[in-house]
Amino acid sequence: MEMIIAGLLDAISPASVMFLFFGVAVGVLIGAIPGINGPMAIALFIPITYYMTPLTAIGFLVGLNKGAFFGGAVSAVLLRTPGTPEAAATSWDGYALTKRGKGEKALRMALYSSVAGDFISTVVLIAIAAPLAAVALFMGPAEIFALISLALTVIAGIGTTSICRGLMAAGFGILLGLIGTEPVTALPRLTFDVYQLGSGLSLIPVAIGLLAFSEILLQLEKYTAKGGGVHIVHVFSKKLEDRMISFKEFFANTKTLLRGSLIGIGVGAMPGLGAPVASFMSYDQAMKRSKNKEEFGKGSLEGIGASESANSSVVAASLIPLFVLGIPGNLAAAMLMGAFMIHGMQPGPLLFKENAQLMYGIYGSLMLASLFLLLIGRFGLRFFCKAVNIPAMILYPIVVFTCIMGAYLGKSSMFDVGIMLAFGFIGYFMRKFDYSYVAFLIGFILAPEWERALQQVVIISEFDTFMFFQRPVAMTLMALTFFVVLRTFWVSINAERKKRSVAASEQIKSD
Amino acid sequence: MTRIKRDSIAYLLIIGFCLLLLAWAIPTYTPAYPGYGASAALVPNVSVSVMLFMAILSLIRVGIAVYTNKPVCSEEREFPEEMDQDGGFTQVGRVNLKHLIYTMTPSVLLVIVIEYIGYELTSFLFLMIFQYAIGCRKWFQMTVLSIVMTAVLFIIMRYGFGVPVPGPQIFPQIF
Repeated sequence: MEMIIAGLLDAISPASVMFLFFGVAVGVLIGAIPGINGPMAIALFIPITYYMTPLTAIGFLVGLNKGAFFGGAVSAVLLRTPGTPEAAATSWDGYALTKRGKGEKALRMALYSSVAGDFISTVVLIAIAAPLAAVALFMGPAEIFALISLALTVIAGIGTTSICRGLMAAGFGILLGLIGTEPVTALPRLTFDVYQLGSGLSLIPVAIGLLAFSEILLQLEKYTAKGGGVHIVHVFSKKLEDRMISFKEFFANTKTLLRGSLIGIGVGAMPGLGAPVASFMSYDQAMKRSKNKEEFGKGSLEGIGASESANSSVVAASLIPLFVLGIPGNLAAAMLMGAFMIHGMQPGPLLFKENAQLMYGIYGSLMLASLFLLLIGRFGLRFFCKAVNIPAMILYPIVVFTCIMGAYLGKSSMFDVGIMLAFGFIGYFMRKFDYSYVAFLIGFILAPEWERALQQVVIISEFDTFMFFQRPVAMTLMALTFFVVLRTFWVSINAERKKRSVAASEQIKSD
Repeated sequence: MTRIKRDSIAYLLIIGFCLLLLAWAIPTYTPAYPGYGASAALVPNVSVSVMLFMAILSLIRVGIAVYTNKPVCSEEREFPEEMDQDGGFTQVGRVNLKHLIYTMTPSVLLVIVIEYIGYELTSFLFLMIFQYAIGCRKWFQMTVLSIVMTAVLFIIMRYGFGVPVPGPQIFPQIF
């Protein structure tokens, strides 16, 4: 009990509160800018968290992520250009309302739905993470190895249309994650006699290059190809009913918000699915069960509520596999895992045992972040609307320069900046050729833990190849891994056959 | 070049890269087996083998489709922009080498030059060149932005985090 109180008191310390508030505000601002999303923002700001305490750093980054999820709705509603992919469903109804002068109403609905979804999933996280972690403590190296294998195969399918390319990307990520010092012999491995690689490739420059720099290269390419952007002047109606959300309007959508939150929690807790899946699933379910189906896509507040509650509830839910098992469920969680490791902590079930006070402090910060999101969104809405109009010629040089200095900050080394540029280059080609940079990054992060678990299994079992059969949980997880791989190939082959028959019939028609 | 040709070349390059790693890089740059645990080369070999297998599988799939004259799925034959489609999650499309060179060159030059002429001048020049490279021609805006960003990042690094800026100091007495 004292631990809980101490943790919560840490969460409300002036420094933690200040950085949490700052994180949420910056997150909303950044999420509002098309092309910059939560994981990218985390990658850009992780270097500055080196100089913070662990609680302040994690609170800041989580606040950033939460803010970015709502921020994506701002450009989705005002420009029909979702600032983040998960806000795509929001843009369908949000933009329709903007065209009728009700943009502010749509944004308020998005804000309140985001806060509701976020709050519910935070409560669920707090309720179930610690008990699940206690169960996870019974997992040995065999179970951890099997679980990471399963996570890697599930994640390989996301962010690409081809499972083969996803597995190639994951394999490449694993390979690069192993550069550095080999854990058993403590000798350099795959360093090519470059002494700076002795401690391996740092996550920060790799993530900044892959997520932020390569994204900016693509955005700039589109921008210069179109000959510059088009700015839309937003005109908000002066009528109060077109600007505000009444209690009646909000509570009329309670079931939708609850359903969206539960979908978001379920999707967020499972590695590999991500917020866009939650958002579209929730939107789809809301439309099917709505009494006003015909309004969806034409300015339905219910549609905005469904999408935003689901995508915001993914944020806290994605921390469940991270805290309980040490496995990031999505890109943002992977970046947070990096932040934990920078501060000398390994996410996983032991985190609750060894850093209980910190965990309760993080819970307190998560609850506070929901409150700050509500306040910042409520009072700063008009200001954030201006953020979407920052000219690209000013924005992109700032972001690129921030990427360069951010990569430098970690080890005060220009070598890391070189790594960042190299991965920016690699990331650009990966995106152009449809190789999943998400699978790459998660493979990169999980590789050392995966190999460590394997080494432990081999050493403990003394090369007993039947060891997995003596551990029923590990055996089940490995069987599940093979099943997922086979099923993914089967689904892909069937989809391929369908596409070929469509292409064949198109060819016959054209002949 | 069609997308399918481009992807096939990519698969061939990946196969070559994997063979190079398996035949030379991994055996040369991994420590010898110490006699216990798993070999240091095991996981690298497995991951590269997975990449190699997937690349060969993808190439075979494309080869079979082409040589048996089966219609290749339209989304793999063409680039999205040619079908008036979005590039999807990964922004699939043609590589614009000219754009890449214009945007990467100032960044690469910054990394090389900063150790010789210092942070202040290099950052200012980088921002000016980068803005020019992406098409900005408003000299006043470019100059103000370059000076402001250089100064802001300097203050944040030096006085905010106590981190030394890269390269030699050109105004050590002042800063």
